[in-house]
Amino acid sequence: MPPEPISEERASLADDNGVDRSQIREMLRLTPEQRLTRIQDFVEAVLAIRELNEARPVR
Amino acid sequence: MKRARFAETLQALAHGRVEFIVVGMAAGVLQGVPLTTLDIDIVHRRTPENVARLMTVLSELEAVYRDDPRNLSPSTSHLLGPGHQLLTTINGDLDCLGSVDGDKDYDDLLGFSRELLVGERAVVRVLELAMLLEVKRRAGRPKDLAVLPFLEATIDEIAKRG
Repeated sequence: MPPEPISEERASLADDNGVDRSQIREMLRLTPEQRLTRIQDFVEAVLAIRELNEARPVR
Repeated sequence: MKRARFAETLQALAHGRVEFIVVGMAAGVLQGVPLTTLDIDIVHRRTPENVARLMTVLSELEAVYRDDPRNLSPSTSHLLGPGHQLLTTINGDLDCLGSVDGDKDYDDLLGFSRELLVGERAVVRVLELAMLLEVKRRAGRPKDLAVLPFLEATIDEIAKRG
């Protein structure tokens, strides 16, 4: 099934370089400590997934 | 690296009265850039007193060189020099840089930094986005150039907010 086309409203969130300005505005609403927490939660989740997959054979 | 407790690392450095400036993408993230990073880069002031304070915190964080099977700890002489000490700690990876952008040290960057609160009584200095953009542009490597649109867009959004 082909992916759904991106709506004009969603597409307009990105600038000419493809940067999603809504993500910047969301980050700017947070405190510096909340911004750090957001990325450290993401990185730790990625590290946990990596660790889970280290023992799995590559298929 | 098993953990990425970036806030705890910065709080430990701040509470240890270490003089440093967060550079690299962690400085960007702290100021609102919507990207991620796997380490914290700092430029520390290379005076004997400050390096002694940094050594105390690094010891508490059990810092050793990354990808070194000997688990070597950084020495005072290493941290007094302009080189890059790429470390891993109980809170994740931490790079202690004597200088960046050629030979700019802590004192050179101080005027291009600002203070941010990152926890209770924990104030840290971060490189301002405009300077971070220039440093990345001058570095010119593909990984640096890739983040320029995000830095430029964030600077633009902050300007719009006044």
